[in-house]
Amino acid sequence: MSWVTRTIRNVWKLGIRDSVYQLATLGDTKVGVLVGVDSYGNKYYQNYDEELPLRNRWVIYKNFYGDAGEIEPGWHSWMSYATDNVPNSSVIPNTGYHKWGKNIGYNPTQTRGAYRPYNTVRPKIAAWEPKVAERA
Amino acid sequence: MASIIPRRALAARSAAAALIPRASLVPALAAQPHRDSSSLSTQRSTSVVRREVPLPSQQKPEGVVDYALTTLDAIANWARQGSLWPMTFGLACCAVEMMHLSTPRYDQDRLGIIFRASPRQSDVMIVAGTLTNKMAPALRQVYDQMSEPRWVISMGSCANGGGYYHYSYSVTRGCDRIVPVDIYVPGCPPTAEALMYGILQLQKKMRNTKITRMWYRK
Repeated sequence: MSWVTRTIRNVWKLGIRDSVYQLATLGDTKVGVLVGVDSYGNKYYQNYDEELPLRNRWVIYKNFYGDAGEIEPGWHSWMSYATDNVPNSSVIPNTGYHKWGKNIGYNPTQTRGAYRPYNTVRPKIAAWEPKVAERA
Repeated sequence: MASIIPRRALAARSAAAALIPRASLVPALAAQPHRDSSSLSTQRSTSVVRREVPLPSQQKPEGVVDYALTTLDAIANWARQGSLWPMTFGLACCAVEMMHLSTPRYDQDRLGIIFRASPRQSDVMIVAGTLTNKMAPALRQVYDQMSEPRWVISMGSCANGGGYYHYSYSVTRGCDRIVPVDIYVPGCPPTAEALMYGILQLQKKMRNTKITRMWYRK
């Protein structure tokens, strides 16, 4: 039953508004230290003392329906526990350092920018155009 | 003569002539004897003026009824997102990653996802792995047994388009040849995180579904 006291304690620290927001997005109340903010506006937190291992780093997305595709490359390695260093320091390069490490932006699925497959191969089936031979 | 022909028969003729019964096909052909080749060529040429139509997700509600139905849709979609019960169609190594999704690290239960063994109890079918020609009728049958509303997630490159086995003699080149697919998850196999991301995208699709609004428009 430790989650009851923990939740009450966290709601007390966070305030009603942030608690409701976190319960709606994270499904949990979490109190921690703000480590940094990336270019999207996502906020990254950590708490090594009270949270369980692999749950002690988390992100509050800028948007309510934010998803993990909106995390910057450097912050992704930090979120995945690949490194303890915060991005934009000299140790962990962030966006643009590697050719592949770029911000992909928001997922364009179900918008105009969505990927649509196309074909560049000549069609294998040609339509038949009937031509009647001239008769004498 | 042309007025007798049902419009559906005319529209469907260009799409799939083989599906139309012979009786409706013959008058349809008789109505337009010589326009077939010309109408095809106009479809292919680039001179057709492109018309920009707003996407369903871009349309704003108008009027009181629209706003009320938007709220109703939001409630129904919220309920649908919160209890997504997948029919697991594990066919190959992708199924192992699908199992990882249910383990505590990725913890699908927090999204209300419970794997069901019966298609009649499930909302979404996750086609995980290589779909062979032999399995294809079974896949279609399971899909037909699922109750509406239903969605399909195609997981992995084999299910997306044949993948590694695209040129095999016995493999279906994509499960979208058998069932309509909502979300394609790329990868060989996709990680459990990727599948979770696909499920989140499916939830996004559900959020934008207009259930009562489409009914009202009709």
